[in-house]
Amino acid sequence: MIIQKMALPRRSFLRGVGVTVALPLLDAMIPGLSAAPVSPRRLGFVYIPNGAVMSRWQPKDAGALAELPYTLSPLAPFKDQLIIPIGLNQKQAESFGDGNGDHSRAGSTYLSGVHPKHTEGADVQNGTTVDQHAAQELGKDTRLRSLELAMEQVFLIGNCDNGYSCAYTNSISWRTPTDPNPMETNPRVVFERLFGDGGSAGARMARMREDRSILDFVDSGIAGLQKKLGAADRSIVSDYLDSVREIERRIQIAEGQQDGESALTLPERPIGTPETYEEHAKLMFDLIALAFQADITRVFTFTLGKEQTNQPYPQIGVNDAHHAVSHHQNDPVKLDKGAKINKYHVELVSQFLNKLKTTPEGDGNLLDHSLVLHGGGISDADAHSHMNLPLVLVGGAGGSLKGGRSVSYPAGTPMNNLHMALLEKVGVRTEKFGDATEALSI
Amino acid sequence: MRPAAGWMVIALPLSCGGLAFGQTRELASPASAASNATAQAAVLKKYCVTCHNQNLRTAGLVIDTGDLLRVPDHAEVWEKVIRKLRTGTMPPAGLPRPDTSTYNLLASYLEKEIDTAAAAHPNPGQTEAIHRLNRTEYQNAVRDMLALDIDTAALLPADDQSYGFDNIAGVLKMSPTLLERYMGAAREISRLVVGASTLPPSAETFRLRSDLSQYEQLDGLPFGTRGGISIRYNFPQDGEYIIKAELLDLFAGAQVKEPHQLEFAIDGERVKVFTLAPRGRGGMARPPQDAAKPGDPPKPPRPTPEEQQALGFGGKPAEFLVRIPVKAGPRLLTATFIRKTSALAESIRQPFDRPHGEGDYLMYEPHLGSVTITGPFDPKGVHDTPSRQRVFTCNPSTPAQETPCARQILTALARRAYRRPVTEAEVGVLLNFYKEGRSSGAFDAGIEKALRAVLVSPDFLYRVEADSTKVGSSGVSRLSDLELASRLSFFLWSSIPDEELIDVASQGKLKDPVILERQVRRMLKDDRSSALATNFAGQWLRLRNVTGAFPNDALFPNFSDNLRRDFVEETELFFGSIVKENRSVVDLLTADYTFLNEDLAKFYGISTVHGNEFRKVTLTDPSRFGLLGKASILTATSYANRTSPVGRGKWILENILGAPPPPKPANVPDLPENGTSGKAHSVRELMVQHRANPACAGCHSRMDPLGFALENFDAVGRWRTISESGEKIDASGVLPDGTKFNGPAELRTVLVKNQEQFVTVVAEKLLVYALGRGLEYQDGSAIRQMVHRSAETNHSFDSLVLNLVKSTPFTMKKSSSPSLTAARGKEIQ
Repeated sequence: MIIQKMALPRRSFLRGVGVTVALPLLDAMIPGLSAAPVSPRRLGFVYIPNGAVMSRWQPKDAGALAELPYTLSPLAPFKDQLIIPIGLNQKQAESFGDGNGDHSRAGSTYLSGVHPKHTEGADVQNGTTVDQHAAQELGKDTRLRSLELAMEQVFLIGNCDNGYSCAYTNSISWRTPTDPNPMETNPRVVFERLFGDGGSAGARMARMREDRSILDFVDSGIAGLQKKLGAADRSIVSDYLDSVREIERRIQIAEGQQDGESALTLPERPIGTPETYEEHAKLMFDLIALAFQADITRVFTFTLGKEQTNQPYPQIGVNDAHHAVSHHQNDPVKLDKGAKINKYHVELVSQFLNKLKTTPEGDGNLLDHSLVLHGGGISDADAHSHMNLPLVLVGGAGGSLKGGRSVSYPAGTPMNNLHMALLEKVGVRTEKFGDATEALSI
Repeated sequence: MRPAAGWMVIALPLSCGGLAFGQTRELASPASAASNATAQAAVLKKYCVTCHNQNLRTAGLVIDTGDLLRVPDHAEVWEKVIRKLRTGTMPPAGLPRPDTSTYNLLASYLEKEIDTAAAAHPNPGQTEAIHRLNRTEYQNAVRDMLALDIDTAALLPADDQSYGFDNIAGVLKMSPTLLERYMGAAREISRLVVGASTLPPSAETFRLRSDLSQYEQLDGLPFGTRGGISIRYNFPQDGEYIIKAELLDLFAGAQVKEPHQLEFAIDGERVKVFTLAPRGRGGMARPPQDAAKPGDPPKPPRPTPEEQQALGFGGKPAEFLVRIPVKAGPRLLTATFIRKTSALAESIRQPFDRPHGEGDYLMYEPHLGSVTITGPFDPKGVHDTPSRQRVFTCNPSTPAQETPCARQILTALARRAYRRPVTEAEVGVLLNFYKEGRSSGAFDAGIEKALRAVLVSPDFLYRVEADSTKVGSSGVSRLSDLELASRLSFFLWSSIPDEELIDVASQGKLKDPVILERQVRRMLKDDRSSALATNFAGQWLRLRNVTGAFPNDALFPNFSDNLRRDFVEETELFFGSIVKENRSVVDLLTADYTFLNEDLAKFYGISTVHGNEFRKVTLTDPSRFGLLGKASILTATSYANRTSPVGRGKWILENILGAPPPPKPANVPDLPENGTSGKAHSVRELMVQHRANPACAGCHSRMDPLGFALENFDAVGRWRTISESGEKIDASGVLPDGTKFNGPAELRTVLVKNQEQFVTVVAEKLLVYALGRGLEYQDGSAIRQMVHRSAETNHSFDSLVLNLVKSTPFTMKKSSSPSLTAARGKEIQ
C-alpha cells in the first residue's frame, strides 16, 4: 500500500508575540509512514441557553441542503461538512413529576440523557456526560482530558430553579454522576491552564519538576489523613488521590511533548475577562482552537450562556434580557429578537470553525478531524419543550461524516442516540449511554 | 374528593417505608406516661390520622401506626409532625383544629419525649469527617497566616453550594482542575509573600461597573474628588509598574466642553494628574495631555487623524498611562477625577443617578471604565512588607543560623496552617523543600518553596476529624479539643484558629465549658467575627444575589451600582450590630435603627444624613424597621421589572417562619404576564389566578398575602403608593387562618407574635453553617435547646451561639464506619 500524505509543516505560526510551546510530534507530521487514521479525533459541544426559534433554525424538509436556514446561514462555508438533525429529543429533561425546573433539567440532561435528581442539597445526581465518556478515551494521551468553558460566572446561591441545586445550572459537563466539572469563565485562567504563566521552555520544565515533588508530598499527606479516617470517609479522599494521579499524568505528557522541536507561537496571555461579550466569546474560542492545535486536549464543552440567563445583546440590537425574549408568546418582535440571538451565537461558532478549517493538520485541517455539535436543551422556550431540539453538527470526523444534509428522525428518537453516534465517530465505544437505544445513523 | 392537601407538606416518596412505623415492642410504662400518651393519641386520631393513615398516606406521612409511648424510636417521623405543629401549618385551613392549649400540648409532649431520649443517648448526626476549606475560608486563612490579602475569586473556581451555603462538606469535592488551581494559587501566594522567585510581568485589570454613577465622591476615595476607584493591590516586587486607566467607552458620545482632571495616587501620594481636554468642535474627548500645571489653561487642540489612531481614538476610549517605581507590598492605588465646583459642571441637567440608560448615553461627565496595573518591570526583590514581617521571625546572618531559622519559620507556619502542633517529621518534610530551594537559590528561595508545599498540603486544605472508632469508642464521641477549635474558628471567623485558640486547645482546656465560653466571647468580639455578617448573613439573606440583580434601567433609572453596594453594606452593618452589640436576634425583625449614608438615606426618603460614611440612624417610619424594610432583601426578592409578592412571601416563609413551601407542582405553566388584551396584568390579578387553580391555591393562599403586605416597596425597595400597572397599592392580606394585616408594619407585628418560630429559623441556619451539612431529624433536640435556653437572655445572639457550640452536634462526632452504621440499624429494628 502506498500512503501519500501531506506532511504538517514543522512550524506553524500564529499571529502574536510572546512565549512558544512545543507542538506534539504527532503521527500526522510524519509523511506517509503511519497506517490508517492518524490525526487525532476531536469532539466539542457548544451550548446555547433558553431554547431557539425553531422555524428559523430547521429547514422545512429533510434531505440535501440547498440554502441554509436563517439562523444557521453563517455556517454556509461549512455546508459540505454539516448536518442538521431534525426530531431528536431529550426526554429525560421532562418533569416526571418533579415539577417545574425545565431550565435546570435542560442543561443538565443535554449531554447526559439521565433524569437529574430533584434536589437542592448536596446529593446531586445526574449521569456522566457524553463529553466525559469521550474524554476517557480521547484524553488518554493529552495533557488535559477535556476543557470546560463558560461565558457566565457562578454567583447565585441556593436553590437556582424550582428546587434544583445550582450545580445543575452551573455545569453541563459531569465527570461522574455526582461530580459536575467546574466551568471556567476567565480566559486568563484558561490560558494558564493550557500554557502555563509564560516564561521560557526551561522555566516551564523547572516548574514541572517542582510540581512533581509537590505532588509526591501531597500524596504522602493524603496517606497520613487516611490513617485518621473511617472506612466510609476514606472513599472521599480517593477523589483527591485521583486528582493527584491525573495531574502527574499531565506533567508526564507535557514533559514528553517538550522533545518536539516544532513550536507554536502563542498570543499574549489574556489579562482577564474582556469587557464585551463578543470579545470574551472570541477569545474563549481562540483558546479552544489553540488547545486543539497544540493537542493539549481533544474534547471541549462551552456554554454561551447559562440556562435562564438574562444576558442582553445590545451589539446586535437586542437590548432585552434573553430569558424574557425567549418567552415569546408568539409575539413576532420577540421571535425576531430570539432568532437574532440564535444567529449571533452561530456566527461566533462559525468564526471558530473557520479557525479550525484554516489550520492544516495531517492530510487536511483541524476541522476535518473534528466534530462540533452546536445546540441546546430546549426547543420552543415558551413551552419549555425538550422535543425536536435545535442542533447542528459540523466537522469532518476524519472523513466519516457526509455533510450537506438535514436528516429527519422518527418521532421519539432520543438525543442520546446522536451522542452514541458521535462517540462512535471519534472511535469511542459505549455499550450503554443514558436513555440511548442505539447509535443513530448519521 | 380528598381533603385539601396541605400546602406545606414535605414531598416524601411514597415508597419510602422508613417513614411509616414498623412493629414496636410491647413495653410496660408508668401509668401517668401511659395516660398522657393515650390522651395525645386521641388528639392525633381526631385531627391528623384522617389523612395521614396507611390507606391515604397523604404526603407520604403515616402516623396511625405510631406508638406514642415510644416516640424516640421514630423521631424522624415525629420531628416532621412537630414542625407542622410549631409552624401552625397543620391541619390545613378549613379542617378542624384543637384549641391552642391542646394543640401545643401535643407538640410539647412529642418534643419532651424526643429530647429526654436525646439527652440520654446523644446522637450528633453524621457530620463529614473531612471538610475542604472553601474559597472564602482559604482567603481568610491566607490573610491570618501570612498577613496577605488576596482575592481568591481570581485564583480558585467557585464552590458549589447546598442548603443555601457554600461551606457544605458534602459538595466541597476535589477535582484535577481544582488541585491544579490550588497548586497555582500556592505558587502565586508564596511568591507574593517571600518574593524570592522572579516572575514575568503580568497585568491585572479592575473594571468599574458601567452602571456605577461617578458624579459624586465615592466611598473610600478622598474628599474633593468624584467617581473613580480605589484598589488595594499587592505589588509583588519592588520595581516599575505601568498604571493605565481607560474611560468608560460610553463616554465617546458625551459632550465635553470643559477640561477634566484625572488623578492617580498611591497610598494617598499623588502620582500623576492628567487633563482630559475638550476637542475644538464636535465634543469628542481629546486625548490626555501630560501633567497639567495648576493654572495652565487647557489648549484646545485638534488631534490629527494619526494622533487619533495612535491614541486609540476611533470611537475608542482615551488612555491615561504612567510608568512608575513602586515598592512591594499592599498599597492603595486610587484613580479618580478631581471635583470641580458645581458652577463648572458640564450640565445642570442630571436626569438620573445611573450614568446611562439602555442604549443611549445620558452621561455628561467622563466616567472611569477600568484601571490596569502591569508589572513588575526591572524587579528588585521584596524588602519590607507586612507578610515578610509576619513570616520571617528570624533572619540568619551566618550560614550556620540558616537551618535553625528555617526550622523556626516553618514550624510556626505549619502550626497555623495545620491548626495544631506539628511533629518533627512534618517539619522535616518541609525542611527538605527548603533545602531544595536553598540549593539553587538564597535562603528566601528555600522558604518560598516550603511555603508552597504548606499551601497545598492536605493538612491545610482539609479539616479532618479523626474517626471516633479510632479514638476508642463505640461510634459516638466528643471531638478532640483541637478539632473543636477548628470548628469554632471556621464557624465564627470563617478562618483558621489563632495562636491563643490553638494554645488553649493543645493544652486540652477547651473542653472546659467555662474556658470554651470565654473563648467564644473573645472570638465574637474580635474583628474577624465580621465574617458572620458578610459570609453567614450574606448567604442566609442572599445578599450575594443583590450583586447579580439588574433592575430594568428604563423603569429604575435611579438604580445604580452605588446603590447596590449601599444595600449590601447596610444589611451587613445591620446584622453586624446584632452580633457586636449582642442584641436579641428578634431585633433583626423589629429594630428601629439601621445604617445609612447620604445616598441611601435619600433613597429611603430620609434627609438628615450627610456624607458618604455609613452611620447608625434611628428610623421613624415603622415600615422600614428590621429586615423587611431593607432594600437589599426587597430587591433580591423582585424581578427586574416588577415586584414578586410570591417571591417575597416565599422568602418570609423560608427565612422568618421556617415553613418553606414545597416546589411548584408539576405541569403547572407559568402565568402569562400579559392578558389577552396585551396589557400587563396587575400583580393582584395574577394572584387571583393562583387562587383559581386548586393546584396552586394551597400554597399561594399563604404565600401571596405575606408578599402583598410589602407591595408598597417597589422592585428596588423604594416606597410607592401606585403599582406598576398604575393602580393604587392595596397592601392588605388575609392568611388562611383569618389573620389580617395591612402593610409592612402590621405584617411584622403578626410575624413576631410567635417569635420562637423566627429564632428557630436563625438557630437552624446557624447550625447548618456551623456544621457544614444539612440538618437531620436528630438535630431537632439541639435546635430546641438553642431556642429555649437563649430565651433566658431574650434570644441574645451570643447566647444562641454559645448554646450552639455546646450542643451535641457541634461538640460530638459519629463514626462513619459502615459496620457501626449497620449495627445501629439493627438495633432500631
